[in-house]
Amino acid sequence: MLTAPHDPPGAKAPRAVVSLSSTELRGRAITRKRRGRALTSFGRTLVGSKKALAGATILFIMVVVAIIPNVLAPYSPSAEVFPPGLGPSGAHLLGTTSYGQDIFSQLIWGTRVSLVIAVVAGLISTFLSVIIGVSAAYLGGVLDGILSLLTDSFLVIPAFPLVVVIAAYSNGGGTPIIIAVLVVTGWSFGARQLRAQGLSLRNRDFLAAAQLRGERRLRIIVFEMLPSMTSLIVANFLGAAVYSVLTAAGLEFIGLGNVNTESWGTMLYWAQNNQALTAGIPLWALAPGLAIALLGGAFALLNYAFDEVSNPALRHVVLTRPHRHRIGRQRAS
Amino acid sequence: MQYLLRRLGFFVATLWVALTINFVLPRLMPGNPAEAMMARFHGKLSGQALSAMEVAFGVKTRSSPVAQYFSYLGDSLTGHWGTSITFFPSSVRSVVDGALPWTLGLVGITTIIAFVIGTLIGIVGAWHRGGWLDGILPPVFIILSAFPYFFIGMLAILAFSIKVHLLPQGGGITNGAMPSLSWNFIGDVLAHSVLPGVTIVVTSIGGWILTMRNNMITTLSEEHVRMARAKGLSSWRIMLDYAGRNALLPNLTGFGMALGFVVSGAILVEYVFSYPGVGYTLLQAVLNEDYPLMQVLFLLITVAVLVAVLLVDIITLVLDPRTRGT
Amino acid sequence: MKINRLIGAALVTGVIAVASPMLAGASGSAHRATDAHRATDAHRATDAHRATDAHRATDAHRATDAHRASGPKGTLTISNAEFLWTCGFSPYNASSALLAFGPTYQSLMFINTMQNGKVTPWLATSYAWSNQNKTLTFTIRNGVRWNDGTPFTAADVVFTFNLLKKYPALDFNSIWTVLSSVARLGRNKVVMTFKSPSVPYFYYIADQVPILPQHVWSKVSNPVTFKDTSPVGTGPYLVKNCTPHNVEYVANSKYWQPGLPKIKTIEYPAFTSNPPANTLLSTGGAQWGFQFMPNLKAEWTSKNPGNKYWFPPVVNVSVFVNQKKDPVLANVAVRKAISYAIDRARVAAIGEYGYELPANQAGVVTPTFNSWLDKTQLAKAGYRYDPAKAVQILKRAGFKRGSTGRFKTPQGKPLAFTIISQSAYTDWVADLQVMSQELSKVGIQLTADNLAGSAYESDLFTGNYQLALAEETGGPTPYYEYRQMLYGPASAPIGKAAATNWERYQSTATDNLLKRYATTTSTSIQHSIIDKLQEVLLKDLPVIPVIEQADWDEYSTTSLTGWPTPRNPYAQPAPQVVPDFGIVLLHLRWK
Repeated sequence: MLTAPHDPPGAKAPRAVVSLSSTELRGRAITRKRRGRALTSFGRTLVGSKKALAGATILFIMVVVAIIPNVLAPYSPSAEVFPPGLGPSGAHLLGTTSYGQDIFSQLIWGTRVSLVIAVVAGLISTFLSVIIGVSAAYLGGVLDGILSLLTDSFLVIPAFPLVVVIAAYSNGGGTPIIIAVLVVTGWSFGARQLRAQGLSLRNRDFLAAAQLRGERRLRIIVFEMLPSMTSLIVANFLGAAVYSVLTAAGLEFIGLGNVNTESWGTMLYWAQNNQALTAGIPLWALAPGLAIALLGGAFALLNYAFDEVSNPALRHVVLTRPHRHRIGRQRAS
Repeated sequence: MQYLLRRLGFFVATLWVALTINFVLPRLMPGNPAEAMMARFHGKLSGQALSAMEVAFGVKTRSSPVAQYFSYLGDSLTGHWGTSITFFPSSVRSVVDGALPWTLGLVGITTIIAFVIGTLIGIVGAWHRGGWLDGILPPVFIILSAFPYFFIGMLAILAFSIKVHLLPQGGGITNGAMPSLSWNFIGDVLAHSVLPGVTIVVTSIGGWILTMRNNMITTLSEEHVRMARAKGLSSWRIMLDYAGRNALLPNLTGFGMALGFVVSGAILVEYVFSYPGVGYTLLQAVLNEDYPLMQVLFLLITVAVLVAVLLVDIITLVLDPRTRGT
Repeated sequence: MKINRLIGAALVTGVIAVASPMLAGASGSAHRATDAHRATDAHRATDAHRATDAHRATDAHRATDAHRASGPKGTLTISNAEFLWTCGFSPYNASSALLAFGPTYQSLMFINTMQNGKVTPWLATSYAWSNQNKTLTFTIRNGVRWNDGTPFTAADVVFTFNLLKKYPALDFNSIWTVLSSVARLGRNKVVMTFKSPSVPYFYYIADQVPILPQHVWSKVSNPVTFKDTSPVGTGPYLVKNCTPHNVEYVANSKYWQPGLPKIKTIEYPAFTSNPPANTLLSTGGAQWGFQFMPNLKAEWTSKNPGNKYWFPPVVNVSVFVNQKKDPVLANVAVRKAISYAIDRARVAAIGEYGYELPANQAGVVTPTFNSWLDKTQLAKAGYRYDPAKAVQILKRAGFKRGSTGRFKTPQGKPLAFTIISQSAYTDWVADLQVMSQELSKVGIQLTADNLAGSAYESDLFTGNYQLALAEETGGPTPYYEYRQMLYGPASAPIGKAAATNWERYQSTATDNLLKRYATTTSTSIQHSIIDKLQEVLLKDLPVIPVIEQADWDEYSTTSLTGWPTPRNPYAQPAPQVVPDFGIVLLHLRWK
């Protein structure tokens, strides 16, 4: 069935440009690896690729900012104590908002929530993907049928409209609600990939050997299957994080988040509502927009680089072995 | 045949999931449209007026949830979509009819443009791997596709309609313009679609480049391409005819689905540009708590995607014999 | 107003009454507009004006012969972000009332909320109360015709009121809760009888009920859902063209006030968001708007010396205190401390950009109702911004200030409250950010809970909150807002939806004051009652007014004259306030 419905351009929030078609390729390439190797290759990716290095550097800086905003930000992000609408200056690097708040301080403080949403939503979605995808692959039969159907259904139901509708119904409940919404709409993509890879792993020698040794199912899944899927799981996390960054920002931007939190999406919401672009305070909107783009871009760069590494076909100019490729509809059952 | 049946089964099952989500969500909400309306009259409505409005909106019903569920399924499938609250007393249907052409026009055309450009860049990039084009365009567009649509939209507005008064900053047409088949009117519509259109193309092109480039690289390593090279055919011919065409086949699947997603529109782009399409209307419905309209739009968007998926399945069945066996 | 609209106007409601179609009834006297008209070419063409005996028009302008000869000319463009038009013109539909009530449909009298309810005859020439203010008799104007040529009669008036009785969904102001019958008397009189004396209802009955043509609406099967695409009204304008993006009106050549209107064509484009609508205004493409401009000076007044604005306040935005929910709030010292601790001027300056004014604890909106404000009483009570006094009041009431500076009750419970607000009203959200900062200075923690529309309303109506930022509707005198805020019988126990009085204030003495007001037409008695109601707010603080919601109105005097201004406040100035919209259109003329 449809594989990786490549997030169509028209459909909101481009989730993960990632992995798209290379899924199957990657699945095959990875099956050879044993536990641990994927992580090593991840490390190598970081060092070896300029793209990955750029992505990792941006991310690292943001993590630092998110940890110590109180040190870096000159003022409180919410205090409305300055003259409104000031241009950039030494005292206010990015000027002030229409309410007299320091834009630079808001940007610094906003890093934390934005990053937390990306990472937490990314982790939980990936976790769900793993549970559902791997269970479906390993359990097989009717259970696989049901889980796959569920996965495929969530995959085709347009995510952003659903996100908007759910967020609207849940009444701007703030960050936890946003994370929940992102997870509900974000897990299916990874689950499908992981199931596909799980299926191809099922009959591998090392798993058969483990079964012969009489190891329990759960143990086999946790200690034998999962490690060999590390690289795909990491890729999925990166994809889910990009999706979360963009979608959360979009939701907050249109006012479906908690408008009192300090985040980049919320800054955009206030900027838009006060018509910052026409009111002569464009930095109020541009600075958080650029920050979101950078964070999304950092994850995407890592993912792109990682995709190249984990998929040898894309890395070497001269291919050593022929690769048959079928995209799209490849239904294992 | 079995394959086709299975795909139909999937279609029905997913449609049912979407319908059910749509039914359950509003019922988890406090209040109802009539209460929302009463609020807008600041409580001056008497209880009697309120119940009269509830009847008018069709929200007052004494039937059981199960009965409501089945009549909801029936009404949804037969196009009895009720009355919009935002645009009361217009029917939901007429609101949808008004919004659909804008989105189909804007997002449909930009999807095709993005697909064509992205695919070409993907082919050429893969063919000249490591060349200057391959080194610049794919990474640039992939990073751009991680940018929020609305950010690109804001930049476009700032640059081309605030700093330089080149293009309108929002809306579908100039106020007061009467729809007609004149060049003036068409030009007006086009002028209003340039900025949102470019925003969509720029942010969505990266996905097509990436898939096409990857497909192409894989295809280039296949035997028949090497054979063609060995035969000494021209580069152009091999690139487009042999490799490109084969690599394109799987990408068409994604394209078919993308066309299905067109209906959902680029919600945030329409929002930033106040473009009166489906996505913008959906947000209007959400913000005005217009549940009937919201439900129908969400359903419509889902059905469009499902139909596209089903069509792609059928086309694949025809084009790719391998699926028949499975 | 709700400054910041999210998507276009949709969210904006508020003060300005009709910010988005649905929100039409939102505030003040703003809602409902009507207008109908249908312009069959037949009638448009023929007939220059016919000045029948209609000209008794007591209206301020009465056309001179010279004017009559010139005829209407030119085009006025209104630029405002609403949502797309439905091309329905039912005056009884919140989304189209603002397009119809005034230009096309008219009411019996025009009551000016800007001038203490000054009454101007419109479709009726006079009215009289009798029978201890339980009978109201209107004399209907002769010589008025519907725009399809049919004569307007007292039967139309009776039909309209009985239609509201039959269809309560049309009775927005619940007038049939006080009316007992409406009947025709003789050829041109309409007699309304009331269950009890209901003088203030005169405003709703005379000004807020658009009169419908019986010969058209009696054939409508469901008036609640009737779209009315070609309205038949008595007003000065006909709908000539309508698309979702624009409504075009043209002067009704047979309008009953001779020589009026002066403007031939009105264009009312539908903008889906503020910026393009603002651009049209600031570039001179439109002459009239009523919306938020982030930088009024740069975008409007500096562009042309003829560009003016007037934002008259109409109603209070207040902190509603739910004393029944929280015993700590039932302590008047806490309410007083909150009132002293809020720097209203700062809230208005930051949260409202200074475009709306700070309110006063007496609850009389100034300068609109200046003549009603008891200044001595207000001065005596104090309630200027005074954080030190707030702290002192709390200490005296036995509250202890902890090491963090936070006050605690004698039982050790911290003074921390949650206030609900509408997330869509971004100016309110901003106001609350300022207010929490100020309250924290005096040791009170205020947490804003910004809810989406129906969740907010549901909590507000059922009393499921500690504090709420909210506004009631106003009217031609402060009485209307006081009644909405304080009238006990209109409230409900916690858990049940209250029609008004959402803070659930109960006081028999106050209820009696409000009831007495309803029985009298004497201004001096009315004044003495309003004085006592101010005392209730000052002594008891059932609500704490913070800012004054205003009508937004930007207008161009470059080529047009006759706009409502602070000096000549003959109507509420913004085009979404109905039927005032129609009154303004009749006053405008080219320079």
